Amino acid sequence: MNAYVEAGYVVVLGTLSIYGSTLVARERAARRRLGVPAGPQGRDVPGKAQQESGDVPVPGPGGSEEHDRGPVP
Amino acid sequence: MSTPPRTQPQDRPDLALRVLGMTALVGVVATVWLGLFVTPPDEFMGNLVRLLYVHPPMAWVAFLAYGVASLASLLYLWPRTRAEHFDRLAGASAEVGVVFTGLTLVSGSIWGRPTWGAWWVWDPLLTTTALLFVLYLGYLALRRVPGEFHVRARRSAIGALIAFVDVPIVYFSVEWWRSLHQAPTVLNPTTHKTYVHGSMAWTLLLGFVSFTLVYIWLMAHRYRLEKLHDLEETQGLEAALEERRAEAVAG
Amino acid sequence: MLRDAALVAGKDLRIEIRSRVGLNQIGPFAVAVLLLFGLALGPDRQVLAPASAGLFWVAVLLSTVLAVQRSYAIESADAARDGLRLSGLDPAGIFLGKAGAVVVQLLVLEAVLTVGVALLYGAHLSGALVLVAACVAGSLGLGAVGTLYGVVASGLRVRETLLPLLFLPVVAPVLLAATKAWDEALAGTPGRAGGWLDVLVVFAVLYVAIGIVAFGPLLEDG
Repeated sequence: MNAYVEAGYVVVLGTLSIYGSTLVARERAARRRLGVPAGPQGRDVPGKAQQESGDVPVPGPGGSEEHDRGPVP
Repeated sequence: MSTPPRTQPQDRPDLALRVLGMTALVGVVATVWLGLFVTPPDEFMGNLVRLLYVHPPMAWVAFLAYGVASLASLLYLWPRTRAEHFDRLAGASAEVGVVFTGLTLVSGSIWGRPTWGAWWVWDPLLTTTALLFVLYLGYLALRRVPGEFHVRARRSAIGALIAFVDVPIVYFSVEWWRSLHQAPTVLNPTTHKTYVHGSMAWTLLLGFVSFTLVYIWLMAHRYRLEKLHDLEETQGLEAALEERRAEAVAG
Repeated sequence: MLRDAALVAGKDLRIEIRSRVGLNQIGPFAVAVLLLFGLALGPDRQVLAPASAGLFWVAVLLSTVLAVQRSYAIESADAARDGLRLSGLDPAGIFLGKAGAVVVQLLVLEAVLTVGVALLYGAHLSGALVLVAACVAGSLGLGAVGTLYGVVASGLRVRETLLPLLFLPVVAPVLLAATKAWDEALAGTPGRAGGWLDVLVVFAVLYVAIGIVAFGPLLEDG
């Protein structure tokens, strides 16, 4: 196979994989620091997350501040 | 870190994301397999055509991300639709976008070297992409300037608008500029349209779809990361305030 | 709005006339840029003369960055934004005033650089109308974008590095169009510059409009 073609595929796939894994890793690290269990919080994730279910252990004083306030005046 | 049993509603976004990721991965793997092994070499370009299953999707996503970031910025600025998530969306899309823009340039360059004999040509699309790359970087640098959320968001949104309104102007200017010069006769660099048919066409389509899914998946994660960072910042602030209050009471 | 603009522009220009920073620093900087280009590309006039337009406009672009930074630096040190904000002037007027002052300085600079380019690169000045039109339209666009990004960057510790990064890519079309217009003029075919001049005008109108709308919010923040 053409060396250019190989190089092209390797660079594209490699970069995207590396970027994707660093994102996931950064996310995990941030979660750990906050003490938040897996899964997003807040209402702004399109449609799904429901805050009212009430089982979410909200960490520290900061947790309640975070949820989208909706239209910001 | 022990996780208490989660209720169904919270699991769904995570599950959706995981499904998305899997689908994207499958799509990309299929594209690669088809692109490298199943599809035939091109009449004129030979095996180099295989890069065209990857490079155009990169460019498409680069500009899609730019569109999303611009739209999100606009929505943030518009009072009726102003919401924090639009700012985060813009930021997430911009970061993922800059990655894809870089990859567009690199893959374009790799394709260009054997095709046109040069690592770079001043093709209108490539040149606009290069400028888009720098505009993205400027926007991301602007986002990193510290400040209160709303201030930072508004500043970034306006910055995005100033920068991104520029892109069509850049494209048309460069296109006109290039049209005034003779295009190389043998292989016209401005032609990213080659004759694709049959398995090649399907593979290309699959490529577009798969990488778009990858973009969405990456953006979702970047968005969540942004949200977590904001949470951390708020928490940090709260903690500092608590300390200050405690000191005031004690002292 | 226009009255406030005249007020601010007048103030900025008076400060410039008194302090002469533009004359003493930005002007020489621009000339230095021309000389450096000459060193890099010359001494063969066959190479330099055709490149005159492009080199001229690159020098103008780089000088605009300095002019904008200066424009904000003259507000009392880092209290720049507060001074402007609390002045009670119409923000759109402040924008037009500051941008206007920058544009005037650019025009003066361009006159000097035109002479420089003719002298140093052997550019044959012709099509004066086009040359001037390009300078006016181009400078308006540069001034507008510069003033906009300038207020964003002012008061930030990273302003010196952020401003060029934000500004230069956005004004790339100005560089392109102005250079092409000048090329046509210098080559003796000014008639062909029409389209490029249109690009410059569209750009200027667009960004002046954006500035009028966006400057207020940007001024409030930070």
